[in-house]
Amino acid sequence: MARFLIDRLFGMVVTLFLVSIMVFVIMELPPGDYAERYAFRKYSGTGVTMTETDVQAIRVELGLDAPAITRYLDWIGGIVLRGDFGPAYAFDTSVNNIISGKVWLTLGLLFATLIVTYLVSIPVGIYAAVRRGGFADYGLTVFSYLGLALPNFLLALVMLYFANRWFGASIGGLFSAPYADAPWSAAKFWDLVKHLWLPAAVLAWSAMAYQIQTVRATMSDELGKLSVIAARARGVPEGRLLLKYPARLAINPVVSTIGFDVNRIFSELPIVAVVLGLTELGDLLLKSYLDLDMNVAGAILLLLTVVIVVMNFVSDLLLAWLDPRIRLGG
Amino acid sequence: MTDTPQTRPETAAERRERRQRERYYSASQWTLIWWRFRRHRAAMAAACVLGLMVFLGLFAEFFAPYGTTERNRDYLSGPPQIPKFCDDNGCSLRPFVHGTRTERDPVTLRAVAMPDPETRRHVHFFVEGQPARLLGVIPIETRLFGLQDGARLHLWGTDQMGRDVFSRTLYATRTSLSIGVAGVLISFVLALVIGGAAGYFGGMVDNVIQRMTEVVRVIPVIPLYMGLAAAMPKDWSSTQVYFAMTIILGLFGWPTLARRIRSQLLSIRGEDYVLAAELAGARPARVIATHMLPSFTSFIIVDLVISFPYMILSETALSFVGLGLRPPSVSWGVMLQQAQSVQAIEQAPWLFIPAVFVVLAVLAFTVLGDGLRDAADPYSEAR
Amino acid sequence: MLTVENLTISFRTDEGRVTPVQDVGFSLAEGRTLGIVGESGSGKSVSTKALMRLLPGNAEIGAQARMRYTAKSGEEIAIEALKPNARALRHLRGGEIGMIFQEPMASFSPVYTIGNQIMETIRLHRGLKGQAARDLAVEMLTKVGISNPDARVDQYPHELSGGMRQRAMIALALSAGPRLLIADEPTTALDVTIQAQVLDLMRDLQRDLAMGMIFITHDLGVIAHIADDVAVMYLGTIVETGTAREVLKSPAHPYTRGLIKAIPRADRLDARLEAVPGDIPSPSARPSGCPFHPRCAEAIAGLCDRATPPEVTLGVGRRVRCHLHETRAVA
Repeated sequence: MARFLIDRLFGMVVTLFLVSIMVFVIMELPPGDYAERYAFRKYSGTGVTMTETDVQAIRVELGLDAPAITRYLDWIGGIVLRGDFGPAYAFDTSVNNIISGKVWLTLGLLFATLIVTYLVSIPVGIYAAVRRGGFADYGLTVFSYLGLALPNFLLALVMLYFANRWFGASIGGLFSAPYADAPWSAAKFWDLVKHLWLPAAVLAWSAMAYQIQTVRATMSDELGKLSVIAARARGVPEGRLLLKYPARLAINPVVSTIGFDVNRIFSELPIVAVVLGLTELGDLLLKSYLDLDMNVAGAILLLLTVVIVVMNFVSDLLLAWLDPRIRLGG
Repeated sequence: MTDTPQTRPETAAERRERRQRERYYSASQWTLIWWRFRRHRAAMAAACVLGLMVFLGLFAEFFAPYGTTERNRDYLSGPPQIPKFCDDNGCSLRPFVHGTRTERDPVTLRAVAMPDPETRRHVHFFVEGQPARLLGVIPIETRLFGLQDGARLHLWGTDQMGRDVFSRTLYATRTSLSIGVAGVLISFVLALVIGGAAGYFGGMVDNVIQRMTEVVRVIPVIPLYMGLAAAMPKDWSSTQVYFAMTIILGLFGWPTLARRIRSQLLSIRGEDYVLAAELAGARPARVIATHMLPSFTSFIIVDLVISFPYMILSETALSFVGLGLRPPSVSWGVMLQQAQSVQAIEQAPWLFIPAVFVVLAVLAFTVLGDGLRDAADPYSEAR
Repeated sequence: MLTVENLTISFRTDEGRVTPVQDVGFSLAEGRTLGIVGESGSGKSVSTKALMRLLPGNAEIGAQARMRYTAKSGEEIAIEALKPNARALRHLRGGEIGMIFQEPMASFSPVYTIGNQIMETIRLHRGLKGQAARDLAVEMLTKVGISNPDARVDQYPHELSGGMRQRAMIALALSAGPRLLIADEPTTALDVTIQAQVLDLMRDLQRDLAMGMIFITHDLGVIAHIADDVAVMYLGTIVETGTAREVLKSPAHPYTRGLIKAIPRADRLDARLEAVPGDIPSPSARPSGCPFHPRCAEAIAGLCDRATPPEVTLGVGRRVRCHLHETRAVA
């Protein structure tokens, strides 16, 4: 077990190192550099004419004239050693300042989505497998096809449209107007919970469809296993038997794909955020891409990936905890 | 050992059955796959839907009455005009739509196009239109249908700028599907090279490639695409953006397929016929291409079909938030940009029509992929 | 203690009805061992699963079937009439009839310890909880000859060796205190040396606990070792029954003779083994007449491929289904 842990931890560090390089490359991709954009933002329309020397001066001031490797080390060093993501040029403040308030919000949304996904897909998938070939099973197959075909952001639009038609209410956003800028309080938290279910349901949509299929397939497999027949032959009551034997194993593939689900959810986050008016990291990521503030964008991309990698690790741990063959074998 | 002592001549039914069986036993792998696929009704339907989309998109210059940028200033945000045969003034053998007149909305004071039930515009086939080039080469001026005397027929209504939604959807179908095809092809080539190298050489090469794959798989896809798309210079032409998009989509679509190729290659790596080919002096690329790949071509095809939806959805999502294709290019995602808010959809629900195409296309590719997989899997019959 | 009559089992499948068991009947007296022999696909496992009502949902037991079992309390149970998931059926499964399967690894759930699964059974059938249940589980493991049972009880199936697992499986089945033990090829998956140990163990346990036992195998050698009576099955019907001694000494059915010739024997090492020619047909393509006629060297043309042979009684408890005996009796 210790060996297994060390292995996974080491793999995680290597992956994160490579990811950080990749993110840095993406940050460097847009043509021109911050100095030019900075100069343009600050002085355009003011009548001041910027010469190439002026831009070069800004470049030196911001340390942008150093070679890429130095800047990468600077950037990643700041993050790892001081938790400092650098300045946010387009927003005229530091990256930490902009994202710090939204990290918890985003994590809250992520966990709400994961909870919705698993609370629905595990029981439903098990039920569909037990009632295989029945009406519910058939309906779920159709649903899961739709879950793949109807992208979350379109689903969000459809839901908003109908909510507007039937209830005449706008159900987007994460907070009601009075709480949006208010400091955190119990009332604000409760307001968030009330708003969270819709984005969580929308974001869970395709992950749910996918996981229902996975659970159903594994459960169907497990139901035919000899260990289930053997338990039945020992007189274990049917309901208890289903839960203890096949269902326990049917959640393994779900646990092992938690990382994928987080990836999927984060992937859809920026687009859904636009439609539902969510003010979290996904939304900010899109804004900073459009503004070409690559320091903010890179920080968010890196953070999201870190969460995915950590969740992958958590899923490995959970799986080892659930399945003694892995725990004791490796 | 002891055969039944039967010498009775075989009946016609038995002969037919025997012939069928012989045909079955001597059929090639692809014939068998085709036979099994033909039995899969949903997949056949999906194939037809896709075929129709490709056909309409390919010949959009003929099927779409108007171009992508042609504006009808008299019919902004106009609702769909459904051709009919009868109205309050009687019936006609030739389908017609009502003419339009512009009125001001009494509340918002916006100019709204209203149908005028007193005028009739008859729908004609093979009417004259703006000159265009079919498939980019053949010049045509004929359209499948339209109105005469400069009047315009907007089957699915118009957008805020008075552009015909039906025509734009057809052109968008072409763009979106072609981006999908190009993206899938690029990722296929990458998967072949990367997965092939990992699976064939194994060991150190495999380890390094596995690490790389892990990195690509772990970064959320759409934010990654967005990062690359955001880096496209603002002054690129729409053609440049189009090609850049296909490359971006293709660049990160390979991990799943590469994994499949790698694991398949690893599993047949030790087979005698592979060793024989190597001993005969064949080079790695040749061994992979001619001796190893053919044994799982059908699976690769299935995986390619299944990866289409991801390409299409990614393109739609990126264009939807303004990081993908840019006007005047028109794709489903670009069209849906106009339907980003509830208000827009409330006012003009027909702007949502491209979404139906997205769903239909993704659904069709998924069902088709499932059908192909069932057909390609030799064990699917044993169920 | 157990009488089975007219047992017919059919499955609804996509290709139509398949009937892997047709009109099977046998009986078992208290404390005796019945061996059921047959090639794979002969319907022997399916028949015994029917005894526990363990058949899958698409299986049907014929309306004529009678399965009578005398319980520990002396009450006679009509197994075919028990309601699914009824208390009585759950008591029958495990509490009255225990079952051991061919694959010891697959019969245990991999994610629970051996002890967990044994104690579950003890709780269900003996009403013992906690330490008492654990003590009994350890005792059962000791009984089946597992060394260091106190530690083994907390181990997972994959930590045990194959033979050990099968012993644990036996302990699991016996922990509920059944009166009848059905063993479905329990030694097939084991090494030959371990096979003999497990067989000896089962024979001893059966004697000590005075259980009835039904032992399913394809190996007549195993039958000779363990069974009192034997029923030979071919393609869903019992073709020959009798005491093990008589059937092995003077087999009446050509199929039984074929099986006996196929046993390797130390005193005939130089002789070639004779396999029964041909393959067992699938139940969906059942030959007409006597199901064995296409493989039978002594088949009578015009009779065996047309008429189903009736059961001919050759002595007390000794019956055979073969036209050869019928004609002999007539002649």
